[in-house]
Amino acid sequence: MPEIHVVRKDNRALYEKYFDPYYRLRHEIYVKQRKWMALDRPDGREIDQFDTEDSVYLFCIDNGRLIGSMRAVPTLMPTLMSDIFPYLNLREPIQRPDVFELSRIFVIPERRGEHAGPRVDMLLLTAIMEYGISIGLTGFSIVLETWWLPRFEKCGWKARPLGVPHMMDGMSVLAVLVDCNETTWKSLCTQIGLTRPTLTWQGLEDVSRLALPDIFLRLPPAFQPAQ
Amino acid sequence: MQVIDAYWGRRALDYVDAIEASKTSASVLSQFEKMIGDLGFHAYIMAGVPTAGQSLQQTILANGWPRDWFEMYAKEQFHRCDPIPRHCVSTLNPFAWSEVPYDRDEEPGAHEVMTRAKDFRLNEGFCVPIHYDDAVGAVSLAGEKPNLAPDARGALHLISIFTHSRLRALARSAMNNQSRRLSRIEAEVLSWAARGKTAWETARILGVSERNVRWHLEEAQRKLETKNKTATVASALVNGEISI
Repeated sequence: MPEIHVVRKDNRALYEKYFDPYYRLRHEIYVKQRKWMALDRPDGREIDQFDTEDSVYLFCIDNGRLIGSMRAVPTLMPTLMSDIFPYLNLREPIQRPDVFELSRIFVIPERRGEHAGPRVDMLLLTAIMEYGISIGLTGFSIVLETWWLPRFEKCGWKARPLGVPHMMDGMSVLAVLVDCNETTWKSLCTQIGLTRPTLTWQGLEDVSRLALPDIFLRLPPAFQPAQ
Repeated sequence: MQVIDAYWGRRALDYVDAIEASKTSASVLSQFEKMIGDLGFHAYIMAGVPTAGQSLQQTILANGWPRDWFEMYAKEQFHRCDPIPRHCVSTLNPFAWSEVPYDRDEEPGAHEVMTRAKDFRLNEGFCVPIHYDDAVGAVSLAGEKPNLAPDARGALHLISIFTHSRLRALARSAMNNQSRRLSRIEAEVLSWAARGKTAWETARILGVSERNVRWHLEEAQRKLETKNKTATVASALVNGEISI
């Protein structure tokens, strides 16, 4: 099964070799495929002002190859929502220590859809919840393509809209705040059949982490032992 | 940077907060009707896009069409030539009815549907496609002269998506209280899955489309609150809704 690694400033040296392919993958997906031309750079690497040392990355690595990723930026720092798309948020601006903003969520094309193991996108959505619980977050803000919302709802991510959808480059996008809590994490683990935490905290042994709840597979009612 | 009047946006956000706190479908729908009414819409439907061989009725989540219009629509099987549901399958974004392309000469059926709708004061509409992994649904709203300005569209998009998902969530919890939950065709499709047939094979056996089979599997999965086909079959067997 692919491993999901937490990568941040305190252990980034261990993952330096992944960053070049990582930025090239972002260019491939966001510039070449999705045509977000504002992100185009002549060196073929998509890097923006939110790739700072405060950003946290989840790298999904399978047999030494990066196959998916997600970026989390503290909302106390500038974010896409605060600096680029402030009009997407009609409620109070979100600048809180317990909320990070997610962006650049992707899975490489050949690893999308059903596979032998859990789907990589579901694995990433589950893993970021585990990260958030571990470091004491209560929510994630996201600017996302609106058509994702029914899928979020289906997988148990509770999204609260912060504004209304806007058309941007031919695609409807909106801002949401998603709860980060144990219930959502446990429900996701059950859905994709995880019986233990998934995150790899290589080089982060000194980081203090909050305890995760126990997870277990719920049996169908007929097989639950009588009280 | 875009600056637009946020009146309808704020109304839409308040609306979403209110329906998230509502406990019944009836209460959600009465707030929905009030909200879309203020934007000039007097009719709506929330349904799956029927696949070949599937009836419109079995895909409906909420039906706020004028009764006579819906009866005619179902009787004449307008969904087979209606260009609106067809367009839902090919786009992720919401659209106005008048923006949907069809060829008046090549597709007289499509022109007929759009013309007859006007007899019921359904002159213009706004449709929000809802895409899941293997099924497509829609929320379609219509009125005489509805508000389709950019800020109104954003608000309509938001309230449609959140109403659809809130109604699904409420329907799921209501389903849990019933003993037998699957329709006959859903049980039949699951029985074939229990015998190891793929969706394609089941489609061949039953003489329906593969998409249709997938839709029934998706619906069974939704009703039984399971996560994949295997779990749906297992759950249906345990509950006695199918047998092998």
